[in-house]
Amino acid sequence: MDNDVFKVENLSFAYGRHQVIRDLSLTLSKNRITTIIGANGCGKSTLFHLLTKNLQPERGSIFVNGKNIRDIPLKDFAREAAIVHQYNTAPVDLSVEKLISYGRTPYHTMGISKDSNEDEKKIRWAMEITNTEKYKDKAVSQLSGGQKQRVWIAMALAQDTKILFLDEPTTYLDIRYQLQILRLIRQLNREYKITIIMVLHDINQSLYYSDEIIAMKEGRVLKQGKPETVVTGELIRSVYGVSLNMREVDGKPFVLPV
Amino acid sequence: MVSTRKKILAFAITLAGLLVLFLLAVNTGSLKVTPGELIRGLFVEYNENVAAVYDLRFPRIFIAMFGGGAVAVSGVLLQAVMKNPLADPGIIGISSGASFAAVIITAFFPMLYFVTPLFAFLGGMAACVLVYTLSWKGDLSPLRIILVGVAVNAVFTGLMSAFNSASGSSYSGVASIVNANISMKTWEDFQTLLIYVVIGLGASLFVSGQCNLLALEDKTVRSLGIDVTKSRILVSVIAVMLASIATAIMGPISFLGLIVPHIARLLVGSNHKVLIPYAIVLGAFSLLLADTIGRTIAMPYEISASVIMSVAGGPFFIILLRRSRKGYGQ
Repeated sequence: MDNDVFKVENLSFAYGRHQVIRDLSLTLSKNRITTIIGANGCGKSTLFHLLTKNLQPERGSIFVNGKNIRDIPLKDFAREAAIVHQYNTAPVDLSVEKLISYGRTPYHTMGISKDSNEDEKKIRWAMEITNTEKYKDKAVSQLSGGQKQRVWIAMALAQDTKILFLDEPTTYLDIRYQLQILRLIRQLNREYKITIIMVLHDINQSLYYSDEIIAMKEGRVLKQGKPETVVTGELIRSVYGVSLNMREVDGKPFVLPV
Repeated sequence: MVSTRKKILAFAITLAGLLVLFLLAVNTGSLKVTPGELIRGLFVEYNENVAAVYDLRFPRIFIAMFGGGAVAVSGVLLQAVMKNPLADPGIIGISSGASFAAVIITAFFPMLYFVTPLFAFLGGMAACVLVYTLSWKGDLSPLRIILVGVAVNAVFTGLMSAFNSASGSSYSGVASIVNANISMKTWEDFQTLLIYVVIGLGASLFVSGQCNLLALEDKTVRSLGIDVTKSRILVSVIAVMLASIATAIMGPISFLGLIVPHIARLLVGSNHKVLIPYAIVLGAFSLLLADTIGRTIAMPYEISASVIMSVAGGPFFIILLRRSRKGYGQ
């Protein structure tokens, strides 16, 4: 039980009369990379928003390290979990370093820093590990898609949390940047023991980079477990409604998405 | 991006411009005093001309400066909160809501003149709440806010004109609010304005960090541990307070809260910790300029500062509207 960071019990949520999450229960393990997969509209984004306090559950509860997230103030939650959203905007003239420094907001009171040395240290670390230091004085708006995504990840890292959520971190990026981001995520998990929970669209990348996969369908968890046991031809048929061939490469399953 | 040197330069030039304009404004009219006479007359010995200027021109000049700063900052805050470069307390009806409330007090309860700012604030809040609720459809579309705001503005402006006509335009107090005329203002008016403006501007500097964060996506701000709704309400209340108090004393002035923040952003960038102080200075300069132009252009008659602002601001608004597809902060 100590190994669970998130525990979700009988969660339900609807947008108006449109039921999105139906009586969903699951647990997420500490220090692992867990990826949520599923077809468009299966509720994975909604689940993501519920887990990160961006939406309030209609019924059911979510516990993080044994505490109901309903009872955790937003600011305290921001020191436990950081989130990289799929779609981001910033003012045209905002510099990379300034944006990353916003990640320290949860540690400020009334906009004033309690420990600016610590702030400085974490910001520098976040820039180093994401390799964004060399354009820290540039405007975020001038960067390429892949660079931008690393800057947003750096902002989340400056929050200095043990949990990191990423919502489709590789969408809109070309394959080189996709790999850069995924390798960075793995490094964050392996070296810095950050629990990663993400949504990915690419099944093969999910298979390759995750310790655990949650397959969702119609607001429920269809299957959860190790990638090679969860992702089968049958599951893909059930989740996406298409039949794909499975291959094995280096002892790991791969699907041929054609 | 704007370099630090450029920002300092913008501040220095605008402050110098404000000082020159101040001396010009003091000397606009039939009485003339040199800067030397002015300083001697104010601080050293009595001078009849300086005393007359002090009683008649100084209040309006100071009201124009502080009121201009207040309206400009109100615009900056509304634009941050609505993520909308076109938000202006005049255009979206906050000023007319405030002046309508002020008119009612002045016309029906003249003995309550000292609570006029409070009622103006309530009127401004009513307009603001109306605009928010009527334009909310899951999100705040920039254009919808403007359209709803224009309608709210029209209603309050209409009501105000109706009261003005129905009261035979005989209350000079009512007429001066409706027409945004600041020529007959006294030191007492300035004192009232000063107290609220100092509080409002202080509060706006205090929330400048939150304004910076509000430029990001709402969900991103929330994941940084900020309650976006609370933050929005706080910043809105400060914006409405600044616009309302300025309106209670000067009457509604449109476009000032639109033009000044826009130029300020071009000159000093979008960091509110710099933008807000600069908007105060530039706002003071702009409204004093409009007032001084209004006093000189058709001498001996006066054109009110709000009319000058409307004439200059209308075309500016259209240009911004045509460029607005780029959106706020993208």
